[in-house]
Amino acid sequence: MPVQTITRKTETAKPKLAVYKFSSCDGCQLSLLNLEDELLDIVGAVEIAYFLEARRAEQPPPYDIGMVEGSISTPEEAERIRQVRRDCKYLVTIGACATSGGIQALRNWADVDQYKQYVYAHPQYVASLETATPIATHVFVDFELRGCPVNARQLLELITSLLKGRKPNIPNYSLCIECKRRGLPCVMVSKGEPCLGPITQAGCGALCPGCHRACYGCFGPMEQPNMDSLGHQLTGTQKRTAREMKHMLRMFNGYLEPFKQASDHYERQEKQNA
Amino acid sequence: MPRTITIDPVTRIEGHAKITLQLGDDGKVADAQFHVTQFRGFEKFCEGRPLTEMPSLMARICGICPVSHLMASAKACDALLAVEIPPVAVSLRRIMNLAQFVQSHALSFFHLSSPDFLLGMDADPAERNVYGLIRKNPELAIDGVKLRKFGQEIIALLGGKRIHPAWVVPGGVNEPLTTERRDQILAAIPEAKAIALKTITWFKQSLDQYQEIIDNFACFPSLHLSIADEQNKLNVYNGNLRVVDKDAKVLATGVKPADYHTLIGEAVENWTYLKFPYYKPMGYPEGMYRVGPLARLNVIDSCGTPLADKELAEFRQRFGRVPQSSFLFHYARLIEIIFGIENMQKLLDSRDILDPFVRARARPNRREGVGVSEAPRGTLIHHYKIDDHGQMTFANLIIATGHNNLAMSRGIKQVAQHFVDGNHLTEGMLNRVEAVIRCFDPCLSCSTHALGQMPIEISLHDAAGKLLDVARR
Repeated sequence: MPVQTITRKTETAKPKLAVYKFSSCDGCQLSLLNLEDELLDIVGAVEIAYFLEARRAEQPPPYDIGMVEGSISTPEEAERIRQVRRDCKYLVTIGACATSGGIQALRNWADVDQYKQYVYAHPQYVASLETATPIATHVFVDFELRGCPVNARQLLELITSLLKGRKPNIPNYSLCIECKRRGLPCVMVSKGEPCLGPITQAGCGALCPGCHRACYGCFGPMEQPNMDSLGHQLTGTQKRTAREMKHMLRMFNGYLEPFKQASDHYERQEKQNA
Repeated sequence: MPRTITIDPVTRIEGHAKITLQLGDDGKVADAQFHVTQFRGFEKFCEGRPLTEMPSLMARICGICPVSHLMASAKACDALLAVEIPPVAVSLRRIMNLAQFVQSHALSFFHLSSPDFLLGMDADPAERNVYGLIRKNPELAIDGVKLRKFGQEIIALLGGKRIHPAWVVPGGVNEPLTTERRDQILAAIPEAKAIALKTITWFKQSLDQYQEIIDNFACFPSLHLSIADEQNKLNVYNGNLRVVDKDAKVLATGVKPADYHTLIGEAVENWTYLKFPYYKPMGYPEGMYRVGPLARLNVIDSCGTPLADKELAEFRQRFGRVPQSSFLFHYARLIEIIFGIENMQKLLDSRDILDPFVRARARPNRREGVGVSEAPRGTLIHHYKIDDHGQMTFANLIIATGHNNLAMSRGIKQVAQHFVDGNHLTEGMLNRVEAVIRCFDPCLSCSTHALGQMPIEISLHDAAGKLLDVARR
């Protein structure tokens, strides 16, 4: 993805940062606040012009960097993201919801009306879109940072690279590489766990294999994942059913293309078997 | 009655605060409504999924208190497996839960609420935030950051990351504690304890000037609900439900989590997506109860740790056995921070905390399970049902902000009746409403707005339902 320098030739002021939230849990924004030691440096390097949806923006647009958390799930949000795009020179998404639709994208395979009736006694008051979709479905996005939630170090790298005008050093290889680097025993080989590591993008530091647990794909598909190979392994050697495969792939990043295609494939298989 | 309800951008358990005030024919406030508009559908999309996924999936409800959802969810799953989890796994989960309490209470007290009472309700909103606090009292602000970091680092040490940790699983936890990590946590405890004690001393000294606020801020009689252990001591991870009334009379005690529905009914109103839980034996809306820090201290007999018990005794001496002012949530938070630090130390000092037996493995053995624990904001209930294959067929979640919904609306009404007059809204009015909501520390996205103002919208309607004024910020 080409990355351009944020121009600030004419401005003597610091670049302006805006942080937006759509449908999400706040976890990714909190990752930003959790950079306690570096936060003061960030505050020193940029001007936080709009953060956490303070209604009355201290600084009017345009902004140099816009960071978006959350997916688009209401008509109001679909409108608002267009304005956000117009207001920001450089728009990056942070986290699974903004990048893939997030866990609430699971409703894209279901009837939303059913959901509403199930949860609320007066569903007619709920103004909600049929789907929860990634930001890139609605507007052009300059860079997408993966993770549920995002990794703090990657977030810092993204901000730093934006300020320096260089390409962010965010690897798109699989989790297995991080896992091997840490010298962890493979949970799939040694314990027969259904691990999504081979098709999942690195970035978390192999947290789950680090505590003897199979990866469940928080960072979404790596670049060009070999879905078939892992599918054969899991349904063959491990005897996982089509239904289990479908659920495994449809988690926080289930609506991203390679996972979506594969999960739809297993859904068809599940129906055939039934 | 406003006929339109807008879904605000935030569509999870919490959302922007939205408030509607209704005027009577005399132009005075007749009713106040606190709207929460959220829709993500967690109860529904877990259907058909294996129960083992639940703790990790449910943690995603909230990035502010993921640990609390992890706890309640894991406990509901333990019940579905029908296992008794290893004692050391209980201790480790308790430590993580206490760390969550310390960090969350620190955020609420230092970052969000202290600017209100340190800088004054009528201070300029541009100044009345955490930056203003840093200028006015830098030591307090730094203490707050340190205390929050203390809690967050324990969560990261135990669970790998601060948000949505993967370490708590049905049947226990994934990995035992190492000597190195235990010592790292223990080494940080003295400083955290010193900060907590210093802060409560400062807060008590300045209490007298808040007398008017204490009397007027959501100060009304209500029931209080929380869990407590068998000796009615404070235990925020495990226990049975207990309810006391305004005169400290115990209405219910030792109610097993699985029987929560005998105590709690849920009512629905058409102007908010948040349900209204109420104390069933008294009906709706008379059965209004509060949960959270103040409710917990009102429900229990003692904390069970020396320093916290000393503070609790003084607290009761000042305000009575069952104080009713929601402003005292702040005071209660400080006592709970001390309790949390002391309790963690006790658990970490125990000989078997490094024991490698941390997980009970079992297949699903029961079709229904309930997990109840205390989140920083109050009692959290996860109720699951599964089919023969261990796949979810039903989920019901009752969250702290829901429990407090009736009381919060009541508190807003009290403040509004006190301050709103005629047909327009003033800044001072907004500040006070905001402060009332903050007492409850509802898990709205605004709870995290340490760097900005709480987004809030207040609309004023006359008796005929006509919109008179809208104030937004």
